[in-house]
Amino acid sequence: MSSVGLKQLCIEHLRGSVAPFTLVFEKGKNLTVVYGENGSGKSTVCDALDLLGNGKVGSLEGRGLGQAQKFWPSAGKALADIAVKLDIADGSMCRVTVSSKGAIANPKSSCPVVEVLRRAQILSLIEAQPGDRYNAIKRFIDVSGVESSEASLRTLIRDLRQSQEVAVARVRENLDAIESFWQTAGKPGPDALTWAQAEAKRDPKTYESEVQALTQLHTAYTKLTDYPQRFEQAKQALRLAKATAAKAAEQVQTDLQAAAQDAGELISVLQSAQHYLRKHPSPAACPLCESSERVQGLQQRISERLAPFSALRTAQTQNITAAAALQRAEQSLELLGQEARQQSQAFEGSRTSYSWSPDVKFPTSTAPDDAENLATWLAASSGLPAHWQNAITDRKDKKQFIETLQRAVKTYSDNASAQTDLDTLLPNLERTLKIVEEERRVFVDGILSSISTEVGRIYEAVHPGEGLNKISLQLDPNRRASLGMLAEFCGNTGVPPQAYFSDSHLDTLGLCIFLALAARDKAEDKILVLDDVLGSVDEPHVDRLVNVLYDEASNFRHCVITTHYRPWRQKLRWGWLKNGQCQFVELSKWTNATGLTLVRTIPDVEQLRTLLAANPPDPQLVCAKGGVILEAVLDFITLLYECSVPRRASGLYTLGELLPAIKPKLRDALEVEIQVKDTSGAITYQKKGLSPIITELDRIARVRNVVGCHFNALSFDLLDSDALGFGQLVLELVEAVADPDGGWPRNDKSGKYWANAGETRRLHPLQQPK
Amino acid sequence: MDTPSYKLAERIIARLTKEQLLAGKDGAKLLTKLASGELRAEDWRLPIEVATSKSDDSAEGQP
Repeated sequence: MSSVGLKQLCIEHLRGSVAPFTLVFEKGKNLTVVYGENGSGKSTVCDALDLLGNGKVGSLEGRGLGQAQKFWPSAGKALADIAVKLDIADGSMCRVTVSSKGAIANPKSSCPVVEVLRRAQILSLIEAQPGDRYNAIKRFIDVSGVESSEASLRTLIRDLRQSQEVAVARVRENLDAIESFWQTAGKPGPDALTWAQAEAKRDPKTYESEVQALTQLHTAYTKLTDYPQRFEQAKQALRLAKATAAKAAEQVQTDLQAAAQDAGELISVLQSAQHYLRKHPSPAACPLCESSERVQGLQQRISERLAPFSALRTAQTQNITAAAALQRAEQSLELLGQEARQQSQAFEGSRTSYSWSPDVKFPTSTAPDDAENLATWLAASSGLPAHWQNAITDRKDKKQFIETLQRAVKTYSDNASAQTDLDTLLPNLERTLKIVEEERRVFVDGILSSISTEVGRIYEAVHPGEGLNKISLQLDPNRRASLGMLAEFCGNTGVPPQAYFSDSHLDTLGLCIFLALAARDKAEDKILVLDDVLGSVDEPHVDRLVNVLYDEASNFRHCVITTHYRPWRQKLRWGWLKNGQCQFVELSKWTNATGLTLVRTIPDVEQLRTLLAANPPDPQLVCAKGGVILEAVLDFITLLYECSVPRRASGLYTLGELLPAIKPKLRDALEVEIQVKDTSGAITYQKKGLSPIITELDRIARVRNVVGCHFNALSFDLLDSDALGFGQLVLELVEAVADPDGGWPRNDKSGKYWANAGETRRLHPLQQPK
Repeated sequence: MDTPSYKLAERIIARLTKEQLLAGKDGAKLLTKLASGELRAEDWRLPIEVATSKSDDSAEGQP
């Protein structure tokens, strides 16, 4: 939304606007004051702007109406009848209608930003609980996103600090374990860690290969230990076989001698014949003598003849068996000898194939080749297997020790490394957190301080020199989202203003806070609406507050102020503001038939000019209007120069009281410099004395003896010619003193004259001549 | 991005960068997350470790 000026606001059937109402904004003026008695519809104007900007009707909220939306339309109208349109000076517009679901803006992008402060809300920020006060202000200081990220950082630091503690403890434990190993090892080297790190570099596989070699050596030796006994057994078996063979041979001889001489050959012949007849059971003749005689029963007869030789045959068989057994026993002994030699060689091979540690012992001689010496050799080295077994156990223990030490050193190294990393990282993270916390505090305090300063500045402008401007807003460090408000009062700092300030002071403080907050957030895009917030301000502060509002309004895109305070009507209507003019709009009494209506928006001076230009002019109307304007001018001059007039409760004076109050010395000194711009924009001033005008006005009043009249009664006593002349003089006087745009000269900062806004008028003298 | 959180995040990132606790490129990456509250613990650690190790290295390299 740009900061283009507003053109007009059209309201249909919203609350008091029973008939369509249009408020036209004057070009070039961004302060509109809407005056009206109570019930004239001022809040409807505010509601319309609230609906445009915020989609709600704030004046109905908080009044116990429940769902207030049903009360948005004018009496007898529906929600769908409501329409509010804002025309912008650049030709764009925004229109809001209402359905049961709420306000519908079209186009939404053209909706203005509107901030509304109502009478009922003025104390809300001051009297609110700290939490509610924080909510009102949090859009300026809400850094919850950063706070959430900050919490993550805090969590990280906490977790890492725990990890650091664990790492330190583990490093201590690892060192203790290494110390213990070191002591077990007899404290070699300069210290435990140096020793452990050197030891951990050793290769445990060295012990593994030595264990393997020792095992092989032990196994080879063990195999040799069987052979003496096996030799003895083999020899015994040989001796037995020899004896058996000798005995069998002797038995054969004995049986042969017992059978007959040549019986052996005979048995062989008979056995051969028997063998032949088994193959040829029915021969035609004897196979030996070829005789067929007695061939019958030959096989039977051969068997009968062999029977007596069976003992001899048995002895012969046993003899053969014994001879074979003897041969086997001899071979077995021979093989055993070969095996023993091979095992001896294997043992020697195991002994010479490894580079042994000096502590490993061996037999004093090599293993013998012959079986006879092996037993002696084994007996001489019988203690070695146990020694080798111990050496194996020792190497295994050492291997396990190195591996355990290596793990301990590695764990120590890992934990020490982790501890070192954390020792470096944690201070940096803590420094980061400190910076984040510091920046957050500075940032939020800066905004709060800036708001406080701004509130104090505005407040001081309304209550100058009262020492009540030291307002501070502070976040409660012990409670989240809690905002305290403190002030200085009678030298006491840090007191809650609501405990010491008057209601009127609290009202203006609330207004100042609202203005300060509203101005922070792109004020140039914002329409500021102050709905009847000035009513409770006491008279001495009214002018200053009006001027403050005028000053502050210039920061906003537009400012709409409604009021029902009657003294303001006169001041605003006549532009009696130090800084210049505003648009003054007056609402007449609201009726059910017409709704909101404007009384008029044409300034009185313009009306007088129009009446004088009429053809023919109406003397009575000219005189009545001129009288009202003269009242304002004389009232202004006598107040400015502190002229003496009777005190009167009503504040209404006659010409006979006001004109003489401007003493001759002052009258003669009154002179106005009127700014003139040529076509090139160059500025010059033309002087105009006010004395001739005032003197002539005084003459007309005296001649016609109307000095006792009030201004609006002048017309009844003046001639037509005097009435028109009176009107012309009043117009000349007011145009000399005031400018429709620059207002009345009420600023004495020059130290030489009174000036209006833009110094289009410079009124001399600065003070009444003595 | 005109929220108070974002404005504060910009100030914090600028300060951390100036203090060499963050590298410039990492600061730009962290800005949005920092402002929106999405910066988790692990998101904090790495860039600070990297930036501080670099600054340590450069300090060590100085004569």
